[in-house]
Amino acid sequence: MSGVVITGWSTVSPAGVGRAALTERLTADVVAAAASTEPPPPVDVTGLSDEPLPSTTGHALVDFDVRAHLGRKGTSFYDRATALAVVACGEALSDAGVLVDDSNRARLGVVLGTSLGSFRSTSDYTRDTLVQEKPYLVNPVLFPNTVMNCAAGQAAIRHGLRGVNATVATGPLAFLDALRYGTNAITRGYVDAMLVGAVEEFSPHRAWNTWLTGRQVPTGEAAAVFLLTRAEQPAWAGPRREAEVLALATAYGPGGGESADRALTGCVSRAVRRAGVDPAQVSHVLTGETGVDDTDEFAPACAALGHTPTRTRVGRLFGHCDAATGGLALATFLAAEPVGARTRLALLTSRSPDGGTAAAIIRGWSGAGPADR
Amino acid sequence: MNRVVVTGLGPVSSIGIGVSAFTDGLREGRSGISPIRSFDASGFPRRNAGEVPDFRPETLLRRIEPTRWGRSSQFAAAAARLALADSGLDPATVAPDRVGAVVGTTSGESVVVETVTAQQVEGGFAAMDPELLGQMAAGRLAHAVSTELELAGESLTLATACSASNYAIGYAYDTLVTGEADVMFAGGADSVCRWAHAGFFRLGALTADACSPFDRDRSGILTGEGGAMLLLETLDHARTRGARIYGEVLGYGVNCDANHPVAPDRASIAECMRTAHRNAAVKPEDVDYICAHGTGTPANDSVEAQAIFDVFGDRVPPVSSIKSMIGHTMGAASGFGAIAGALAITHGFLPPTINWTTPDPALAGLDPVPNTARETGVRVVQNNGFAFGGNNAIVLIGAVE
Repeated sequence: MSGVVITGWSTVSPAGVGRAALTERLTADVVAAAASTEPPPPVDVTGLSDEPLPSTTGHALVDFDVRAHLGRKGTSFYDRATALAVVACGEALSDAGVLVDDSNRARLGVVLGTSLGSFRSTSDYTRDTLVQEKPYLVNPVLFPNTVMNCAAGQAAIRHGLRGVNATVATGPLAFLDALRYGTNAITRGYVDAMLVGAVEEFSPHRAWNTWLTGRQVPTGEAAAVFLLTRAEQPAWAGPRREAEVLALATAYGPGGGESADRALTGCVSRAVRRAGVDPAQVSHVLTGETGVDDTDEFAPACAALGHTPTRTRVGRLFGHCDAATGGLALATFLAAEPVGARTRLALLTSRSPDGGTAAAIIRGWSGAGPADR
Repeated sequence: MNRVVVTGLGPVSSIGIGVSAFTDGLREGRSGISPIRSFDASGFPRRNAGEVPDFRPETLLRRIEPTRWGRSSQFAAAAARLALADSGLDPATVAPDRVGAVVGTTSGESVVVETVTAQQVEGGFAAMDPELLGQMAAGRLAHAVSTELELAGESLTLATACSASNYAIGYAYDTLVTGEADVMFAGGADSVCRWAHAGFFRLGALTADACSPFDRDRSGILTGEGGAMLLLETLDHARTRGARIYGEVLGYGVNCDANHPVAPDRASIAECMRTAHRNAAVKPEDVDYICAHGTGTPANDSVEAQAIFDVFGDRVPPVSSIKSMIGHTMGAASGFGAIAGALAITHGFLPPTINWTTPDPALAGLDPVPNTARETGVRVVQNNGFAFGGNNAIVLIGAVE
């Protein structure tokens, strides 16, 4: 067991800003499912792009305005991914009850997952060098947005976080990799607490990428951020313990395919062993799979667990969210209404097209949510 | 807790491909700067960079097909292949799931992003090539290494900009210290691209044809590229197989300025040095050589030197910048620094800061090892890496005691 706990979290998602908005959306979905109706459809996203889009709908938070949350100062040059992430980090700090000050800022860090930072920011910057008469007349203030660590760096500036600051860029694996990176930073003693999250923005660039590479679901966007600290947490890291990160494992199946199936099965077995739990007790599996018929993650996971738990595909509700998918999965698990047992065990899985795999075992404590505070 | 050593080096650089050529380049104070060939730079006021025009991926890579991977992934995989060969490790003797790859980068597959952007400018979004879109994810840098060497352990790309290799080495060190892995490939890769060339120019940070760190008249960086990978393994593993050991990773420190997106921060950098020293159980007086971040911009070199003075007082070790030779290779930069540091320990020399002519009165007391490599015993090297976003990372490498 890692001995690392989650004391608060938040999401900025198509459901809205903050965990209450997410919980409300999930509750509505449960009601809809009981009535055998479809989940909320994607929304009209044409207002988010001056360029033609491959589809007029997507899973975006179309009315998101960073200034409504953080004001104008310091936010005018944020790209959308940075804005989503910085707001989610602030909401997670607030949800955990963490006040950042000079006594703790050097011991508090942030790690965020991404696919390639803001595809839009980098591509638009390149575009300027191609279409302008003078290719070098780019806007210097926007240059940092082309670098993949922009969101994590701006989150540190906004919230005064001087501890370990990192960006992991492994696409669909990025949230679980960030969880592992953040957990390592805590258990190795480099920090006392970490904001761990992942972000993807909606943009015409990502929408076309999703479309042209043949993904079966609409493009989504989200930032999901969690406050992690050691089990013997310093008082400032939040009064509540909502969940425990029991184990994480990653593995690579070179070339993907069956090799990656085996890698993921191995990952899950290792995570279960490290977590010291009975695999039969794992009641939920949350995957990054996109289609109903897609069992690339669920089948290897069930093979390792030896049974078939309930599966949740967050892509069904939130679309194709790349790096943010794993974060939405964890948030979905933690937001769910507790049923029966006091503790619940979830397995989170991720897989990349090249053969990367990752698994996490999370124990959620029922009744540990905000209503319990 | 395991001790961690460096047993293989894989530089793919503008001053040499492979450890032997790279060592010669450092010793000779070779310049790898040349006119830009990878894109049409004719419209730019600055037209030089540290490209690696001699890079022939097909001659180095055995498993991955270069046409299916972007240039940065090719750099990473080729560098790892070289590091493996240099280490003498027989992969068949290690369980594949006990070997992983951690690759640091600033801009990932920047050349691929630029190619699909050119397609978009030409024919609209729908004209972007799906095959190239599939090559764009930065995570492929580590996956290229894992695929090339058939590694089944962790495969992680860290995108902490220009200190990313030090982050990668640090994280790989942790996985070895804690027993998660037996062998790790760690370092970084990046490619020269239009957008970074334009961005650095507009920040006023790009010099014309010679990068001269710590010189009074220094005027900026030259962008560079390449792959720099190190093979790290536990000391026990290395001794058991009778490996040649370059040095030991003593520890590392990372922190964040949380202050400004691009300007370096003296107090924060000094604090990062102190953190790295504490984690590595090293005292300032133990450090024999600092392989500087040393970009050659007036601001970086001044702030870095002042932070060094703050931490080292009146006992400042020699401080040189290999960026004077290879340019600023972005996410690979501190990987090349770590390789240079390991070579300094093994062969007993300090790589020079070339293009140095005039002392900077504001940096009095700093010895930049001007222009000529220096023969001297080196036991502990401090390898600095700083970055946009305030991502500071420092690795300490020492001779094995």
